[in-house]
Amino acid sequence: MNVETLKETFYTLVSPDIPNDWDVEEAVENLASLDEEKCRSALNQVQVIWPVSHSLCFDYLKTVTSALDCFAADNLSEWVNSTLDQYEKQGLRAAQRYMADVEGNFLCPLRGESGVPFKRVHGRLLPYLRGLSGSSLELAPHDVVYTDSSTVYVPHEITLFTDDADNIFFYKLIVTYQWAFIACSSYTVAESAGSNRQGQDSSTEELWLQGFIDSFPDPRLAGDLYHLLETIRVTTFLESELPGLMRRKRSLSDQQQSRGLPLSVTSEPVCRLRDFFHAADNRSADTSLHERCLALAERHRTHARSAMDSARLTRTLYRIMDEEAVEYTPVEPLLYQGVMRLDGVRHARSQRLEQSRELFVDALATLLLQQGQAGSTAVAEQPPEGPGAAPDKEGVAVVVDARQQDALTASDSTVVITIDNEKVQLNDELQRLASSIISDLGYFPEQYVSSAVGRAGKGYAPFPAGANEEGPELTGPVIYDEWDYRRNDFRKKWCNVLEKPIPLTRSSFYPLTLQKYHGQIHRLRYQFELMRTSERFIRRQRDGDDIDLDALIESLADSRAGLAPSDRLFIRLRRDERDIAVLFLVDMSNSTQGWVNEAIKESLVLLCEALEVVGDRYGIYGFSGMRRLRTDFFHIKHLDEPYDELVKQRISSIAPREYTRMGPALRHATTLLDRVDSRLRLLVTLSDGKPEDYDDYKGEYAIEDTRHALIEAKAAGIHPFCITVDRHAQEYIGHMYGSVNYIQIDDVKKLPHRMPEIYRVLTN
Amino acid sequence: MKRNMRLEEHRIEQEPFYMPLGPEVKLAEAAYITGLPILLKGPTGCGKTRFMQYMAWKLDRPLITVSCHDDLSTSDLVGRYLIRAGEAVWTDGPLTLAVRSGAICYLDEIVEARKDTTVVIHPLADDRRELPIEKRGELLVAPPEFMLAVSYNPGYQSVIKDLKPSTRQRFVALAFDYPGADAEAEIVARESGISDSLARSLVKLAAMTRGLKDSGLPEGASTRLLIQAGKLMENGIDVRTACNNAVTEALTDDRELLQAIDEMVSSVF
Repeated sequence: MNVETLKETFYTLVSPDIPNDWDVEEAVENLASLDEEKCRSALNQVQVIWPVSHSLCFDYLKTVTSALDCFAADNLSEWVNSTLDQYEKQGLRAAQRYMADVEGNFLCPLRGESGVPFKRVHGRLLPYLRGLSGSSLELAPHDVVYTDSSTVYVPHEITLFTDDADNIFFYKLIVTYQWAFIACSSYTVAESAGSNRQGQDSSTEELWLQGFIDSFPDPRLAGDLYHLLETIRVTTFLESELPGLMRRKRSLSDQQQSRGLPLSVTSEPVCRLRDFFHAADNRSADTSLHERCLALAERHRTHARSAMDSARLTRTLYRIMDEEAVEYTPVEPLLYQGVMRLDGVRHARSQRLEQSRELFVDALATLLLQQGQAGSTAVAEQPPEGPGAAPDKEGVAVVVDARQQDALTASDSTVVITIDNEKVQLNDELQRLASSIISDLGYFPEQYVSSAVGRAGKGYAPFPAGANEEGPELTGPVIYDEWDYRRNDFRKKWCNVLEKPIPLTRSSFYPLTLQKYHGQIHRLRYQFELMRTSERFIRRQRDGDDIDLDALIESLADSRAGLAPSDRLFIRLRRDERDIAVLFLVDMSNSTQGWVNEAIKESLVLLCEALEVVGDRYGIYGFSGMRRLRTDFFHIKHLDEPYDELVKQRISSIAPREYTRMGPALRHATTLLDRVDSRLRLLVTLSDGKPEDYDDYKGEYAIEDTRHALIEAKAAGIHPFCITVDRHAQEYIGHMYGSVNYIQIDDVKKLPHRMPEIYRVLTN
Repeated sequence: MKRNMRLEEHRIEQEPFYMPLGPEVKLAEAAYITGLPILLKGPTGCGKTRFMQYMAWKLDRPLITVSCHDDLSTSDLVGRYLIRAGEAVWTDGPLTLAVRSGAICYLDEIVEARKDTTVVIHPLADDRRELPIEKRGELLVAPPEFMLAVSYNPGYQSVIKDLKPSTRQRFVALAFDYPGADAEAEIVARESGISDSLARSLVKLAAMTRGLKDSGLPEGASTRLLIQAGKLMENGIDVRTACNNAVTEALTDDRELLQAIDEMVSSVF
């Protein structure tokens, strides 16, 4: 193809956009060298990329020629999809970088040659880590392996071994070691619990370990020594805790030692100590010193009980090295050992403490209020007193007794709190919080208790637990993928849905509607009453609650007459329970202005009146929005919210707003319904036309995305149904909802009459 | 005569193994003496049913267990007329049988039963201690030996499946949970016959799976699962396979969780 034809094709592909002529010319120039078939498949992808990013599309055209030298045209769409994934996750730069190295980024993973990326193990290692720790630790990729005691950071990718299983194992090994540092309180060790507990604001407190390491002239050496000694101790801990893991680790290092892997992968922690004395060896060849230190380390391996032992040995070893004037050249840490980042630990700890302090004080205050213990004696922020303090008439005597049951982990301790000589029974949640605080601080600050007593005494109401007491209101935007039919894949994290309260307006709509439909409402109530849990007797059953006399007489007669008597002689009471949850999704787009909006509102009123009688659970939400980053999801009635004045006012306030981006709204409604446990879950959409948004969300794209969102809903066990007043709906709605899952109402005015009827048929 | 035959089947002859973890045995005995019904709550497989068997043995009463389900009707509990040889014959249901003969009636997983069914136990569960049998026009008064016990698992927190307060507040509630590590290891070793160290490893694995609550596993491995895994091991199945089949696959179908639990198994053993 020549450049002119290419340009022309390009313009038809991207229409109605009209990009700059010179940009297009520059981009398509390259394609001219390709043969016809390749050129066509390359251009086919333009439609996929152009709507996502124009500049990415130009970049694509510039690189596609060289990419097609590396792989067959069949793989092109897969390559484009991975590129778009990169773009959506990390932006244009990342996508450009990805496209630049076809061999390394695309082909190697395709052939299964590269290592294991974090993404692949995250799903299995996060639950693994949480199972190990029993708490909600996080797992994240980072350039350096370390843990700040809230998150474990692991490499982006592990490519050490040829076998993927080994790479995955190594990930697991790293995670386990980092967890073990937390579990053995390697970083949160303190000289003796409670030695300096008074008067300090615990949340900003320095780590004891930091001070300890900084007290050496060469903190770096001291830190590295300590970390290595802790690794030795932790290894022993893991040997006894997780023997299976350590067995595999040993066999892996035996296998790999000959293959030239770095020593930081294969060597044992104890042997690593040798490297600290490398310089000394070279100079004086004093092997006895060497031996002595190794013997110390060996003893440490088998005898160390706590992190304090490591600290002590650090001091000894440091002194030896100092005396022998060994010059320290930093030793690279073992790969699974990672590095020690005490500032990170301190930061994470203070954050955690702040949180648990707030939670603890709240929970305890609530508990005290409930128990009526607060009384009038309580005074806020009473200075803490030591254990066994005598009860003070004016203030509060607080005794906190933390009993460690298990020497190994601090998490198994029982905290007993005594306030004014009265023992307070802590509930499970408080116990959990208290042990988490103890594991961070090494002791339990009594200020926490006195502030709780203070808060309870002042009669503070407990803080609301969630963001909203009304129901499952979600805070912040909820992000959803969007289906791109041209790509046959999702646009990842493409749409934001914001849950909002509907702005209320005053109107006489409600009473007027009730008046207008007075007769119909009366009839509806009667009709719907009949639908309530129906109980009926079914006769002639093999077993049941009572004897079916007719059947019995018949059977006796039969047997007298010499016929085989029936054994169906019982009556059974059958209850058909209506276990139904339904969510109404109201299109609040601009096009509903006028009659349509009015009719929708009226039909909602009638429905509510009817549904209140039948007792089904129902929720109503409205949606509208503009562009992918803002789909507003208006709350009118949550599923289990009572039908009260406020709900009525919200219904009256439904008004036309912006556009109809159906997909994200449907996905959000699906999420809400998915949490509900019901026999039948219905999602009813009330709409007046095709899905459409301000941007390129229109036509086939919008219909396909909506269709896909509905398929997702069905997969979640939800029945979607659409009621539309669009006269041209036949053209697309059957494809979107499936031919039996919609109803089209030709006259808007009929909607209020028809809607309860439709609902009745749907649920019976 | 016939009734007694049926009843004898429910008697527990041999002492079932039960390790008391708190004052539950004493409490249940006191409840028995004072005629109070008991409610056992706790996660699945933590020993609720075993506790009832033990109590039945200790009190020397027959134990009549009814596993509740949502199709359980009042007649299933109280009794009904049946047709035998052309005649209508009244047959006692398990609850009536227990009341008549002074046995222990244990309604397992009571929340699974419909609420209107559970209401029949109300007059039995308060100080009246009587069971009206409407169809026969009979009012049964429970003898002092009769005891009512129900159990439920608060883990399945669902609005629909919760006990009505009017039902709940008639009972003395005994909370059960998985035993501490040492006790659990002893139980597993004793019930399945595996070595103490192996039992300890199994308990360690269970503790890890119980930490997965936030990761999508509502209930971790129960003591019962551990015993089952132990039994497989004792019968020549190798440790990893036994864990995989008795624990991992029994807990979840989620692929990533399966992998995670598999990693735990391979770490512990």
